This record gives sequence, structure tokens and C-alpha cells, in this order.
Amino acid sequence: MERKKVTSSNIDSIGYDEETNTLEIQFLNGSIYQYFDVPFAVYDELMGADSHGQYLAQHIKGKYRYVKV
Amino acid sequence: MQNKSTYLGTIQDVTGTTVSVTLANESLSGLTYVDGEGYRIGQIGSFVKIPIGYIDLFGIVTQVGASAVPEKQVMNQPYGNRWLTIQLIGEGQRTGKFERGISQYPTIGDEVHLVSETDLRRIYGQPNKPHFVKVGHIAGAESISALIDVNKLVTRHSAVVGTTGSGKSTTVAGILSALSDSKNYPSARIIILDIHGEYGQAFRGRANIFKVNADKKSGENELYLPFWALNFDELSQISFGLLGIEKEKERSALIEKVLAQKEKTLLKYAKKGVTKETLNVDSPIPFSLNQLWFDLWNETFYTFYADKGKKPTKENWAYEKDSDGKDIIGDALSATSPRFKPVKNVKEDDEKIQYGTSTLNIRGQLETLGSKLRIPRYNFLFHPGKYTPELDGKVTNDLDSLLKEWIGSQKPITILDLSGVPIDILNTIVGVLLRVLYEGLFWSRRLSQGGRHRPLLVVMEEAHNYLNDNFKGIASNVVQRIVKEGRKYGICAMIVSQRPSEINSTILSQCGTFFAMRLANATDRGHISAALPDNLDGLTNMLPILRTGEAIIVGEAVKLPMRTIIEAPPKDRRPDSQDPIVYGEESEENSQLTGGWGIPMETNPNFEEFLEVWRAQNPFPSRVFTKEKGVIKSKSKFKKK
Repeated sequence: MERKKVTSSNIDSIGYDEETNTLEIQFLNGSIYQYFDVPFAVYDELMGADSHGQYLAQHIKGKYRYVKV
Repeated sequence: MQNKSTYLGTIQDVTGTTVSVTLANESLSGLTYVDGEGYRIGQIGSFVKIPIGYIDLFGIVTQVGASAVPEKQVMNQPYGNRWLTIQLIGEGQRTGKFERGISQYPTIGDEVHLVSETDLRRIYGQPNKPHFVKVGHIAGAESISALIDVNKLVTRHSAVVGTTGSGKSTTVAGILSALSDSKNYPSARIIILDIHGEYGQAFRGRANIFKVNADKKSGENELYLPFWALNFDELSQISFGLLGIEKEKERSALIEKVLAQKEKTLLKYAKKGVTKETLNVDSPIPFSLNQLWFDLWNETFYTFYADKGKKPTKENWAYEKDSDGKDIIGDALSATSPRFKPVKNVKEDDEKIQYGTSTLNIRGQLETLGSKLRIPRYNFLFHPGKYTPELDGKVTNDLDSLLKEWIGSQKPITILDLSGVPIDILNTIVGVLLRVLYEGLFWSRRLSQGGRHRPLLVVMEEAHNYLNDNFKGIASNVVQRIVKEGRKYGICAMIVSQRPSEINSTILSQCGTFFAMRLANATDRGHISAALPDNLDGLTNMLPILRTGEAIIVGEAVKLPMRTIIEAPPKDRRPDSQDPIVYGEESEENSQLTGGWGIPMETNPNFEEFLEVWRAQNPFPSRVFTKEKGVIKSKSKFKKK
């Protein structure tokens, strides 16, 4: 999945697949996670948020299931 | 004369390699400066230098203070108990060459000096010779690289020991990534026996991964170990269970059968290197185990119509009939057994059925083997893909292509991921893998791909699991052979374990180089001190207080024992064995953690995937997004509900 580079204190890049509603996050430490069944709107808001890290912590972590790839 | 500021004290007593020293009054402060750098005096494990004539002797401080005072001296100590005990380890020429062992002893009155960073550099610092590989830096002297002699490291075997969490796997990954650097070593050859599937992550790009139930999507290859590569003892152990003395008759019968099957293959499909005359039961020649099992089953279980005193021939075997009235004769290929009628001897009934004449008592074993041939769990062994022999012994691929995949690929590392191997046969499988490699490299010792010309390093992870004294397994035997003689044929071992005391002591004592990480358990430590090639009590006493990622490297591959901070590979190239983090330390917007106890629980946790991955024995659920899948789905215009 192609990920876009973002400026953040913890996230390196973010990608999204509309077909499968899969959100992919790469952290600055190199680890990559896929969050499943994340609506497009949430991805959109994540990309638009002032602090991607904060949005991720408040609206995605603990809400959607994920797998470390 | 040396710089006076390095002066520590004077030798008072020499016993063997142990030297007692009184500290000079000037060095009372405990801290001294050499070339503007501060050094603490009398640190356990630090080095000292004794200049005598044209050479310097080097020693290591093992004891400081009251108990280092010789008994008779206790009463008259003008400055208290300011004594050091030193173990001698080697000598250095003034020209800079350093060697282990000493040619002459120091004597009373010789001066003892501190070893400064300049000296350390002289001992450890090898001017970029390519056969030295950097694994980290000396603890306490960041500018000095910790260099290891690759020749000695590989051929003289090595052991990496340390408690869980002391940084063992990371150390192994660090060493191996240095060794597999294609710039320095373009044809390095390393096999990792990965019991827990940890290393795939660390060496992706540099390694081929072989695994039972491989995930082809993530580039893993299926691990096959064709049963016909096994020798007779291994094969009978895996397929029939142990046939001991009391089963000598059955054993010989089996040998005959296997030999006959292999002979049958040879007649039809000649193999270079073996003829009917040189064939023996251990020769790696394909044959159909299914056929062998089927024949044995028939011979053992058959009953026959014995009316009017008939002798048993195949024509009068008493098969059961199925619903269509056909004989249930079974099928070798699918390992379906035939069914025979029970014995019958009724006075009025003319139909008499008797047991066959077989005297082999292997009914139970045949039942077991039949089920092993049928269940998929053993497929890597009994139905190994293209290496599966047909009923007449024909195989699509011979062992050469298997060996080529393992030790002849373009990538320096091969990971044999054994996490899917049934635990009850793990020991045997490891043994068989190693024996196949050993024999291959032994006989090919004159070829360019043989072990002598392209040595193989075998890394044995979690070695206590299969190199245990308690097991009568073959792994321990093979590894003993490797550590004793493998050197000559270029098959070399690196043994990794957190429980060195459980490893067969012959194996451990043959290891030339030790990477000892933190090790608190006294039994384990005792085992290591006994096996260490250098006699240095002071060093092993440091083992419980090493930091994570810190190792004492002792043995042939290093000039002097060195306390080293191992250079860990980058975070995304570390083995998958880090401790989970229970509660993150960072604030939530900075945290790179996705789980732990500090993050709210999912409202409707998905345990279907939890079960799916368990059933599939593959940590990735099918839901995971991969490139290929994305393409397939967009092609088929898959729409989400």
C-alpha cells in the first residue's frame, strides 16, 4: 500500500485502501500496522488533523482492530 | 619508561598466573588522569599492563581490597588493604602485536600500570583487515571497535548465552548481519534453525525463509524434509517409533523391505553415484513409503480362506466386501488400508478363515504410520511436494535441488523456520536436518560448493530444547559430531541458549568463542565458567551485572576477552522477540504503541481472526492487505457491503 509521508512526532507515513477500508500506519520506529474496517471519513479526518498522533490516539487506537505487519 | 601517571603499584607475589599487587600511595585517590582522560583505579574486569623489558604483560583485575591481601600481610598494612589480584592473560610486543599466553613471568617489584585507551587500541584495534568483523564497541571506550576474527569465529564454533531479555537474539542478529554483509562477504553461507520464527523479520531481503505451512504471499518457501533422505534409524524412529532390541526381528525385516524398495527404484531410475552393489539401507534413494507401508500392512493383517487345507496365496486372501460387493483392497497412494475378514472356524461352516503366516509384531506401528501418512501435519516429511516419490520411486526433484535451495542460493542466509514442526519430533527433525547438511558437506569437501571451500555456519537457536542431555535424540549426537569434527569439513556451529546448563557439556566445551550475556543463574554460570576457553574467574563473576545488550566475548575469535556493547541492528531489523510493553512511557500523541494496558479496549474484539490465525498457523489473518490482494480485488470489481 502506498503511504503518504506526514509531519508528526510519532507517525512516519499513512496509507489507506478504499476497497478494503484498511488504514496503514508506519511509525517513526519503522513498525507498520494495519487497522481494519476504518471508514474513509476517519482516514480523511486523520490526514486533516492538526496533530496526527493525537487524532490517532483518540479516535483510532482502541477503537479499530489492527495487525502488525 | 611509561607515563608515570599510569603507574598503579608494585608486584608482591606471583603464583601461576595469579599476581598480587600493592597499590602505590600516589594512586590513593582512586582516580587518575592519562592524556587528559580520567580512569578509575582498580575496577574489576579492567586491564593492567606489566612492562618487562621489550614486552608488556597484560592482565585483568579480578579482586580488589581486603581479601586480595596475602594472609601473612594482613597485620602490617601501612595504608590499609590496598591490594589487587590480577590474572595474567597475554603479552604484547612493543611493536604492537598482541598474543595470548605469556613467554615470561613478572617478578616481585615489577611495576603495574593502568591500561589506557591508547593501549586498548593497540590490543583491539585491527587496521581494517577484512577478516575482522565489527560487532560493537568496547564497553567504556566507545571509540574502539569490538572486532572479531571471522575465521576463528566460524570454524572454531561459538556459543551465545544469556538470560531471556539480556539481548541474545539481538546480539545474534547483530553478528549475523555483520557476517552477511555482501560487500565484505559476497558468498557468506549461514543457516539459522529458527525454533520460534523470530528471525524472518530481521533478515528480510538477505534471507530465504523455509517454513512448514509457508505463507507464500509473504515470500516464504515450503520447508520439505523428504523422508527418504533420512537414514534407516531416523526413518524408523519417525515412522515406526523406536524398534529396540526386543524388536530385532522386525527391524531386520524392515531393513530388507526398505532396501528392496530402494533397489526397485534404482533399477528403473538410475542415480549417479550409487549402484545396486553399493546401495545400502541408508543411501538417500527415493522410494515409496506408501507402497512399503501397504505391502507390510497386507502381509501383517491378511487372513485367508483355509478351507480344505489351502495354503495362503494372494488369490485366497479374505477381503471384506463393500456395499457394492467389491473387495476392500485399500490403496497405497492414499494410504487407505485394506480390510480383511475376521478368522472363522465353525464346525458346520465350510468357509474357514485363518490368520496369515506373518510373524512380525508391528501391528500397532503400522496403524500409527498409516495415520501419519494420511494427516497433513506430517506432509513436509512424508509428502514433500516435488520430492514425493511415486509408487515406483520416481521423483520430480531430487535432493540436489533441495540442497541448492538451502545452501546454494544467492542470498547469504537461509532461515529454517521450525515453528510448525510437531514438538514430539522436533529433536529428530533438527538432528536429521543437520545430519543431511553434515553428510552433504563432508562428502563434497573437494568441490567448490563443499564445506571446505565455502564453509557453512549453522546457528542453533534455543539449543537447550534439542541439545539436552536428557534426550536420547539424534540432534545432540549430530551436533557433537559437528563441534568435534565439523571444523575440518567446513560445517560450523553457533549455539544460542538461555539455559547453558541444559546443553550437553561436550558440545559447550568445544565452542571456541563465547558471547556471554547477562546470566544470573549460578548453575548456568558455573557451566559457562567451566566451558570457557580462558581461565578467568573475574570475568564470569561479572556475568550477573552485565547490562542488556552487553556481552563478554571470550575465546579464540578475540585477542583479549572483551566486554562489549553489541551494536544492535536498526529497530525494524531486530528479531521478533522483544518484550511487550505493558504501559507506554510516552504521552498519547507521541506514543508509537498501538496496544498495551494503557489504551482502551476494543468494544467488539474480533476473535474469529484470533482463531483463524491459530488454525492457519500463520500470524497474519487473511484480512491483511497485501499488494497482490488489492490488485485481485480491484480487478474483480469487489464491492464492500
